[in-house]
Amino acid sequence: MAFNPFEHRGIPIDDQFRNWGQLDVAPVDPDNSDPYTKCRIIALNGLEVEAIMYSHHFARMCPDIETKRQLAKVRYVEQQQQKVVNWLLPGQASVLETTISYEQVATDLTGWVARMEPDPYLKACYEFGLLEDFDHLYRYANLYEMIEHRKAEKIVDGLTEVMPGRPTYQQHRNPVDNVREPYDRDAAAPLSKLHALTIMAAEQQTMNFYMNMGPLYMEPIARQLYQEIGMVEEEHVTHYESMLDPNETWYERLVNHEYNECYLYYSFMQTESDPRVKGIWELHLNMELEHLRLACDMMRQAEGRDPEAMLPRELPEPVTFEPNKAYIRELLATQIDYTTLGTGIVWEAHERFEAMQDKINAERPSTEVVIDEHRHKFGDEYRLQTEGAHPVPRLRDKPYE
Amino acid sequence: MSTTEKQYSSTEDLIDLLKAQHGQIRDLFDEVMHSQGQERKEAFRALVRLLAVHETAEEEIVHPMARRIPGGDGIVDDRLAEERAAKETLSELDGMDTDDPAFLKTLDKLRMDVLTHARAEERYEFERIQDEFSPAQLKGFAAAVRAAQATAPTRPHPGTESATKNMLMGPPVAIMDRVRDMIREARDKG
Repeated sequence: MAFNPFEHRGIPIDDQFRNWGQLDVAPVDPDNSDPYTKCRIIALNGLEVEAIMYSHHFARMCPDIETKRQLAKVRYVEQQQQKVVNWLLPGQASVLETTISYEQVATDLTGWVARMEPDPYLKACYEFGLLEDFDHLYRYANLYEMIEHRKAEKIVDGLTEVMPGRPTYQQHRNPVDNVREPYDRDAAAPLSKLHALTIMAAEQQTMNFYMNMGPLYMEPIARQLYQEIGMVEEEHVTHYESMLDPNETWYERLVNHEYNECYLYYSFMQTESDPRVKGIWELHLNMELEHLRLACDMMRQAEGRDPEAMLPRELPEPVTFEPNKAYIRELLATQIDYTTLGTGIVWEAHERFEAMQDKINAERPSTEVVIDEHRHKFGDEYRLQTEGAHPVPRLRDKPYE
Repeated sequence: MSTTEKQYSSTEDLIDLLKAQHGQIRDLFDEVMHSQGQERKEAFRALVRLLAVHETAEEEIVHPMARRIPGGDGIVDDRLAEERAAKETLSELDGMDTDDPAFLKTLDKLRMDVLTHARAEERYEFERIQDEFSPAQLKGFAAAVRAAQATAPTRPHPGTESATKNMLMGPPVAIMDRVRDMIREARDKG
């Protein structure tokens, strides 16, 4: 059933402000909710945070006071949306449990996007990042059992496997090799632009989360692990943001953001298993339709261009959280040793990569230590392999001596 | 494939041990919710026993430690209020048949009470205790809790089962009293 976001009228912007009681949403159940409901919450929170920060940066560059007022008004509503979305997370969940859900988002959202991406270069970039976040899930799952004495399968619920990806210590590249080639705004499929915005927003939120939550831990291994993986998130934001065409104008990018928010709320409304949460996605979609209309008006007025010509009149197939086990196993079997050189992805470790590795990994990195410590304490490491042995023989679990 | 924890030898200090119990309690709630009939009855009994050992250990050992920290009285009073609410729900559940249609609803209330209480302890009480007491002290206190748990196993080993059952049957309050005696004995000996 086709849904044209340019055609539907949303809630008038002046009717979108909510009072404190309306913002005070009940959180989802910490132990009994669909893991993918938590993933949708985390993904949409990332999208709202990106929308808010984009609007702030736009306002800082914008000389026209009327435009700044308009941005401020929509941004206020977006802040309220972010409050409602992220406050669905339950306070009983620990930071580490939420972290594991963040990595489940990074794995299965990137998995979906990589499978659907029409551009082969961009697809390769998503596949490249996917194997790295997949490894982070495994490292945090080992930390989780070590300090909270609970297994990550209680959180990911068998939907996502937990085992080594591209080992995190091999993810530390020379920063210049993290910059990708952008898509061309005139030639790229609209879906490619939406994908890039979505994954950039998700990774940016993950980066911010680890930046701020890491030092709240007392356990030295936890503090170190958040630092090391946090540095990889910096690489990932660099990687994904450089895929966006820098020639897109501020107004054009604003329209892309609003369109993408319509797309994601619409998608998750189609697939949400919790009826109450689904109601929130629907309400927010009706707000976003109005934000899109306003952004289109601003672009028309400022640039005299038709924004509706840039984007499809029909939303693409709904973004869906679902297991990507076979896909990930295939990538593990074929791309585990990839790294980057310039804007390309290469098979062989090269000199600049080796130099960075030698410098940054001079001491045994925490992502390896966390596994050592888990093996020492529990006699083995934590993994959740529902589909058999690891596809890469050297990354199979070895008995502890 | 996934790993299994080697008993309690890996949980060396008091805080680690109590956090491990928090994890087990959550998993037992899962078991009770997702089983039926006799299996649910047994899982619930195991849950009640573990809650009794755990909460009593906290009352006898952890809270007195926390009271020695500046501001500790307030922290402990808040935790005791949470515990009281949970205990009331627990007594209510104890009189119910585990197959009663209302059982799961009441169990859910207990689950959220216990979860909230556990996380509040970890955030406001355990972190302070870890700061204030030495590793050796924390190890020593763990021994007392472990001794109580050994005499009141939540999952009795075959053979010792009947003795444990005799010792730990009856309403939760009675179980807590027995556990309290065991902990005091272990503590005084140590």
